[in-house]
Amino acid sequence: SRGGRPVGVPEALILRIAEGRDRAAYAQLFSQYAPKLKAFMMGRGLTAIEAEDLAQDALLNVWRKASYFDPSKASATTWIYSIARNLHIDGVRKQKRAQTLPEDLWAPEPEQAPDTHLIGVQDAKTIGVLMQTLSPEQREVVRLSFFEDLSHGDIAQALSIPLGTVKSRLRLALLRLRAAFETRTESKSV
Amino acid sequence: MTSISHHLDEVILLDYHRGRLNAGQTLLVETHLEMCPHCRMSLRLFDAIGASMLDEVLPVDMSDDALELALARIERPEEAPEPRVAPELPAYLKGIELPESVRAAAFKPRYWGAPGVWMAHLDAPKDGRGLTYLMYVKGGMQMPVHDHQGLEMTLVLSGCFSDDRGAYHPGDCVSCDEGDHHSPLIASDDCLCLIAANAPIAPKTLLGKLLQPFARI
Ligand SMILES: [Zn+2]
Ligand SMILES: [Zn+2]
Repeated sequence: SRGGRPVGVPEALILRIAEGRDRAAYAQLFSQYAPKLKAFMMGRGLTAIEAEDLAQDALLNVWRKASYFDPSKASATTWIYSIARNLHIDGVRKQKRAQTLPEDLWAPEPEQAPDTHLIGVQDAKTIGVLMQTLSPEQREVVRLSFFEDLSHGDIAQALSIPLGTVKSRLRLALLRLRAAFETRTESKSV
Repeated sequence: MTSISHHLDEVILLDYHRGRLNAGQTLLVETHLEMCPHCRMSLRLFDAIGASMLDEVLPVDMSDDALELALARIERPEEAPEPRVAPELPAYLKGIELPESVRAAAFKPRYWGAPGVWMAHLDAPKDGRGLTYLMYVKGGMQMPVHDHQGLEMTLVLSGCFSDDRGAYHPGDCVSCDEGDHHSPLIASDDCLCLIAANAPIAPKTLLGKLLQPFARI
């Protein structure tokens, strides 16, 4: 029952957790994101059990680090994604090193005016739209890298193209997304 | 601080984002990121790209008791993270202004490659032929033209050097891939770099020869 009320918006839920340790908000956020995280991590080759554990851990981190969340810097989905990504990497590395905290990456930029280059404000849906501006070949290598987490070599094999072509396609696609992102952000802030 | 004009390759940044780099490459990338808002921005973009895919994915049901477990877990006290002891800065690095990432890393004792040139390897588990080290070169030296057998990334920490493609200042990162060859020239100030190579540039027996002072300026 959203009905235009901001109460179910994930950004608002995280703020309610940060400010009031709101368990109902957490339950709602968990139900929204855990099944997606589980599916996403299974797409990356984790078993259903591993993926479910990772989703649990990621949401637990959301609860604990909610006070670091800044909706002017990142959408809820982007922030939650970055937490899950870090957990996944640390799991893969199985290294006993201090976890890279997402708040490091989303910390304020001292060398920039506060309202320039705010990628995070743009939500994931904007990127979804920008992805459509890529060529089908570029979109494919981005999807295989981010969603299926294939190595460049595996992508080359899957698409039967040289490794160098995979890298140059990926490079072009990423530069293009970045340029499109910056243009959008600049035109918005004017 | 001069602004950074040579950035990390987007593909390398993406591999960092996906946790696919070895310890030495990770250190080099993290050190550049510490110094470079431009590349930090790329990483944020990558998170937004990943998030757009998370948004589109078809959910898979969690187990029946998942929410109950989640609500129980948030009531448990958080285990304090293990305190992280920074390694002691080796004497040869004292007095040099260094990024935090480099300070927090452990390096082996330095050794001299040639008069005016020392190297110190990162103290990390061996990873294939990968090699990561600090290299200090006295101002005014030139290295002879040499080939690369694999990807080599060089990050300038202090001082400056140049080759036929440009001049590199603190924070700048130069990548040489297989088949590239060049002949770096060190400016008048001493230069300290962090180098992460997939393969050594030359057999170790030749390294001393390679690093002979070639020309004084
Ligand atoms: Zn950069
Ligand atoms: Zn070289």
